[in-house]
Amino acid sequence: MMQWQKVGRIFSPAQHTLPMGCFAFAKSPQAVVFDRFVRVYFSSCRRDESGKYLSHVCYADYTPDFGAILDVAQHQVLPLGELGAFDEHGIFPVHIYREGNELRAYTTGWSRRVSVSAESSIGLAISRDQGRTFEKIGPGPILSASLHEPFLVADGFVLKIAGTYHMWYIYGQRWINGVLGGQAERVYKISHATSDDGVVWTRTGCQPIPDSLGPDECQALPSVLEVDGVYHMVFCYRDAIGFRTEPGKGYRLGYAYSRDLLNWQRDDGVLGLEPSGSGWDGEMMCYPHIFRAGNRIALLYNGNGFGLEGFGLAYLESEINEHMNS
Amino acid sequence: MHSHAQTPAVLACGDYVRIFFCTRPPPEETGLFTSLIGYVDVDSADIFRVLRVSQAPVLSLGARGAFDEFGTNPVSVISVGDEVRAYYAGWSRCESVPFNAAIGLAVSRDGGDTFQRLGPGPLLSYTPDEPFVLGSPKIRRFGDVWYLHYAAGRRWLKSPGRPEPVYRIRCATSTDGLTWHKAGLDIIKPQLGEDECQAGADIVEFAGRWHMFFSYRWALDFKNKARGYRIGYAVSDDLLNWSRCDAAAGIDVSAEGWDSEMVSYANVFHHNGTLYMLYQGNEVGRHGFGLAVLDHFSEESRA
Repeated sequence: MMQWQKVGRIFSPAQHTLPMGCFAFAKSPQAVVFDRFVRVYFSSCRRDESGKYLSHVCYADYTPDFGAILDVAQHQVLPLGELGAFDEHGIFPVHIYREGNELRAYTTGWSRRVSVSAESSIGLAISRDQGRTFEKIGPGPILSASLHEPFLVADGFVLKIAGTYHMWYIYGQRWINGVLGGQAERVYKISHATSDDGVVWTRTGCQPIPDSLGPDECQALPSVLEVDGVYHMVFCYRDAIGFRTEPGKGYRLGYAYSRDLLNWQRDDGVLGLEPSGSGWDGEMMCYPHIFRAGNRIALLYNGNGFGLEGFGLAYLESEINEHMNS
Repeated sequence: MHSHAQTPAVLACGDYVRIFFCTRPPPEETGLFTSLIGYVDVDSADIFRVLRVSQAPVLSLGARGAFDEFGTNPVSVISVGDEVRAYYAGWSRCESVPFNAAIGLAVSRDGGDTFQRLGPGPLLSYTPDEPFVLGSPKIRRFGDVWYLHYAAGRRWLKSPGRPEPVYRIRCATSTDGLTWHKAGLDIIKPQLGEDECQAGADIVEFAGRWHMFFSYRWALDFKNKARGYRIGYAVSDDLLNWSRCDAAAGIDVSAEGWDSEMVSYANVFHHNGTLYMLYQGNEVGRHGFGLAVLDHFSEESRA
């Protein structure tokens, strides 16, 4: 089992002024490591005229050791979509992929529906100012519903490996009836696509992560790190019903590894990261991002309430490939 | 079914011609409609002689949350070996705008009596420059190449009632009718300015050229004679570059009757040595569709 040291919560939205009137949540933290600081992008929410949440992209800059916050952006990093666009009602999460000096934002855009709560697709925006702001390549998405992935395409995470771009993402498989005639709940799974340019994608049709909670398991936020030829995926998963109110059914962290990018071995217990039992991540852990922070492997994640109370950090204290030798 | 016979699409079936169309059950309490696909069979020897009308929709609505949960309209059909494929626009309902649409595919293995989806999601979906409202598919095959002409939304306009989309005719090609390559171009220059809406681009090969009959209207305040749908026309020698010449379409609204305010959504087909056009009339087909015959064609259409 891996040994992680939880640093604790490193961002609490209540303690900062955020742009666009955002005041609640700091969801899906994802780090981009610069020479002199680490920028953590996340999504925070404000309420619109109808009282519903709109998610906006925000960021905070940290010292390389995450010991102090240097800056919290006060400007609009990435605008929401126009009337009727796929990202009109929120962008969450945002994944920043860096290649050379170019930063690309793979966004998940949300728009509201009538018979179900929402639909989502993955968009792309490019930064020309080192990640301060991003400009969309067009008003529409780059990856959207398809014949066998009928809705709720989201959570893109990109790596370029041997000249090919790989994206792990999720798609909605079914809407199912909620409890006592309540709102419809979704079932979604991790999927995989490849690309020559990072813009036009071909689905591989591979569902890499087998279910551990049965067919209604929801899988989200795949995040992949390569270490010495082994690919490590950290994601989160939950039950489809009851996940908001019953701690045992909410999000927890999952783990899988692969040597060939196609066959993944799921082994959640190896990760060794569990809710703390009390405090901000006492009941839930979700929306992980595994990355290299200097010469260490680090994990950003959300705790209780899907990131309502902010995000935290953990460092890996053991050798990540060790479990495969035992 | 209760009202409307929209977007006719023919399938030659030997002794008879099957005309698929889209029709509606009574509106829901909210006043909103769904739309389903049915057909009428007419005698090949006398296409004004109706043989039978379908008694049930040929394709169910999509599942909860699916792109086609609230409608399957329009439809365009094509025979492929023993199968009939139906390319259709599926409709979902949204909060800030009234609807969205994407293009689906269903297949019949019983000659077009019933259809099953190839999957629960859309065949053709949104891309950076085609952000929403993909509808109005017209499927054709010329030689080894499949052509899908369709309408793609480019923006939503706020209006005193509900928002209305602006959409333009686009084209995609394929070698199998399943995997599509979008051309990424608006292929018909607008005549009504930036907010012209274009749809229903049906293409027929005739006299050595390709002829496109499409529909166009104003984006707002279009439910009237002055700003409602008309049938436009364009001609091409390569199926890529089109010369628009609406005056040569040779069909306009009638002086009175069921097609006196609007004509749209043409389906043009050869039958027994004659070129026919099916089209819908006033209120985009609330009162049914009609038939026209090519009498002669103008200089603009000649090679």
